[in-house]
Amino acid sequence: MSIIYVLIPIAMLFVLIAVAIFFWAVKSEQFDDLDRQSVSILFDDDNQSSPSKPNAPKNEPLTKEQPELPL
Amino acid sequence: MTTCFHCNEPVLTGDKFFTTIDGQAQAMCCPGCQAVSQAIIDSGLANYYRFRSEPGNRQNALVPDELNQFSAYDLPEVQQDLVHRQGELDSISLTIDGITCAACAWLIEHKVKTLNGVTQIGVNSTTQRVMVSWRPDTIALSTILKQISDIGYQAAPYQVDDQEKLSKAEGRKFLLRLGLAGFATMQVMMFAFALYSGYFTDLDVELRDYFRWVSMIFAAPVVFYSAQPFYFSAIRSLLSGKLNMDLSVSIAIAGAYIASCIATVNGTGEVYFESVSMFTFFLLLGRYFEQQAKQKASVSSSNLHKLIPVTAHLIQDGQTIEIAAKKLKVDDIILVRPGDIVAADGDIISGLSSVNESMLTGEQMPVTKNIGQKVFAGTINIDQPLEIKVKALGQDQLVAEIIRLQEFASNNNPKIALLADRLARYFSATILTIATLTYFIWLQISPDDAFWITLSVLVATCPCALALATPTAVTCATAIFTKLGIITRKSGVFEKLPQINHVVFDKTGTLTCGQLSLGTVKLFADIDQEAALSLVANLEQGSLHPIAQVFTPFSDKNLLVTNINHQVGKGVQGIYQQQVIKLGSLAFCIQNSDNLNIDVHSHHQHVYLSINDKLIASFELNDLIRPDSEQVIKTLKAQSIMVSMATGDSSGHVKYLADRLHITDIHSGMSPESKLNLINTLQQTKHVAMFGDGINDAPVLAGANISIAMGSGSAIAKNSADLILLGDHLSRFNDAITVAKYTNKIIKQNLAWAFGYNVIILPLAVTGHVVPYIAAIGMSLSSIIVVSNSLRLLRLKL
Repeated sequence: MSIIYVLIPIAMLFVLIAVAIFFWAVKSEQFDDLDRQSVSILFDDDNQSSPSKPNAPKNEPLTKEQPELPL
Repeated sequence: MTTCFHCNEPVLTGDKFFTTIDGQAQAMCCPGCQAVSQAIIDSGLANYYRFRSEPGNRQNALVPDELNQFSAYDLPEVQQDLVHRQGELDSISLTIDGITCAACAWLIEHKVKTLNGVTQIGVNSTTQRVMVSWRPDTIALSTILKQISDIGYQAAPYQVDDQEKLSKAEGRKFLLRLGLAGFATMQVMMFAFALYSGYFTDLDVELRDYFRWVSMIFAAPVVFYSAQPFYFSAIRSLLSGKLNMDLSVSIAIAGAYIASCIATVNGTGEVYFESVSMFTFFLLLGRYFEQQAKQKASVSSSNLHKLIPVTAHLIQDGQTIEIAAKKLKVDDIILVRPGDIVAADGDIISGLSSVNESMLTGEQMPVTKNIGQKVFAGTINIDQPLEIKVKALGQDQLVAEIIRLQEFASNNNPKIALLADRLARYFSATILTIATLTYFIWLQISPDDAFWITLSVLVATCPCALALATPTAVTCATAIFTKLGIITRKSGVFEKLPQINHVVFDKTGTLTCGQLSLGTVKLFADIDQEAALSLVANLEQGSLHPIAQVFTPFSDKNLLVTNINHQVGKGVQGIYQQQVIKLGSLAFCIQNSDNLNIDVHSHHQHVYLSINDKLIASFELNDLIRPDSEQVIKTLKAQSIMVSMATGDSSGHVKYLADRLHITDIHSGMSPESKLNLINTLQQTKHVAMFGDGINDAPVLAGANISIAMGSGSAIAKNSADLILLGDHLSRFNDAITVAKYTNKIIKQNLAWAFGYNVIILPLAVTGHVVPYIAAIGMSLSSIIVVSNSLRLLRLKL
């Protein structure tokens, strides 16, 4: 049971790191536009990979088949 | 019924407009949507249609190129005020109209990124703003704005509300404090659970002390950093001699923490670290919701405060130069071309034209203006160029007078003190008194326990649930409002709405659509209706007259009409296939109107078409009543809410509309001041809600108890209102009242529960039965109950 005297400080260290990362994220404006950030990874246009990932259920399909594959 | 592929509105023009997307022809509802979708496809951004989760913005009829040039933005005086220069780069922050979902942000960024000279662009879809940097020697600001306009979004500079500047910094700090409190609370709770076991089984004293020390370390940042807002607020209220809730909160947090520290060091007594942390967290959460709501409101306020630069064409020494409107002086002579906005109040010294004064008076039909008559800043010239001698500038203009009236009205608006705030004040005083009493009483009975019991009283009765009661309900209700397309600009709306017992409606643009549409078409000769419409459309092409806009969808590229000649106040004529065609008033079109089957006393506007002096067709033009107007008024009356109409119009249309909609209390020919007086008189006995859309409605919107501006109304009207109805669906107002009534019920339930909980726990605390885990359970349970009750709001079926 005395291992707990070591484990708890280690846990505290982890929490400290987590809080530091959270502070950094807020300060670098990542929490400013939550709408956009949640979908921006799906707006893939650099490598033209298939946007056929299930994006939002309300997405209207342009044609009946799925969009084309990368060139 | 086919719907427009771009904006989802129903397509009423058959298969006239379409765009080929991915090899398939998709229907479009109007030239505007077609041009925009074509521009999107041409830029290689068809992915927008794949990514979007909401339909695009409805595009109004194609705006003529002259109005769309944005050249004013390149003037040095304008750039000085709006553009930020840093070395070689210019940058500006703009607000954008028309963003409906995150894909719109993606679309704008990708369109503008490709422009040569643009170095950086970032669109925020939550605040609806764009920040763009560019090299001024490579590309002009007007080009960037035009590109954005081509794909269907209107960008404009805006005035940042002072409120908003504060909100943004505050919001971020709040989030930091909240996050830290959250993390720390989770850790402290874990150790607290370990400590609770001490009440039920044996717990080694060393372990107990170790856990207490660790809890103390974790709770420290919460007490010293996260809870700061409460301390400052308490000190501020003490200094101004008032009691507020934050005072008892601060005493509880600080007192409990210090006492628990002492207990940890001495190894005796009880520790309340988890209660303190949890308490701070929940309270911060409630405050954060409130602050976010305020921030959203101030962001949309700023967005509405657009700073569109007004320019004028100054005539000096026989030359015309374009200058910023603020550089004009009295007695300057300016040239106002068809389609231009009049830059300053003045007298006409040359020219004959008609002017659209709808933004000031609310009336759609342009007013004919001759030499010697006055024109006003903000109105739009329609037919012919006018030379104006400037007579009033800045604060002396009619528009400025209306804005002053609006500010006066908003300052004198009776403010309803919110229920929760009043309760909170009495609450603090009561709790502090009871705590002090408890201390002294226990001091007599058992001095050792006195301190701990008093502490438990303070901790257990802490108004956690009370603080969450209103903000959570308001946040949920606001979310419902957003889904309904209602924007809330001021707080207290949910309390005020159910109290309304009298509604006043503006006419044009509120009860009616505000735009002329085509009614019945009567044909008097052997001609196809479509052919007649196309003839009219081509004859009226390029005209900015509201009547011309009605026929635009019917234009036909193959019909050639030449020698077009506008006659102000009468009509327009042209040549088609060597025949003279005329469109306009009856007297203009034909010589002899005796033997015709025409009802000249109809209260509807008509224009007539003649070929070679022979009457061909008559077109009825209506300002269509909004489809839900009648139903809305019926529903309001059914709820015993009185309905009135107050309008600037004094034509026969007013009575006609009132009869159609069963409104008996009519006020016509009202100026902005008389509308305000009407509301003030009504307010002496009733709670009044006002609906409006034009600049002339701004004062009365600021003065009413609750005011609603139509989404398509002027920016000043929207800025003065409490609520904005997007999409102009009047029926949403009835839904809003229902939601507000339900929200009020839920808030009252929350408050009842919060107080009830305190009433139950107080005697338990005073008699010494509340130990830390009971306080913690009580606090978390009551908060969860309040939040869950508020979430019930989201289930409301309308």
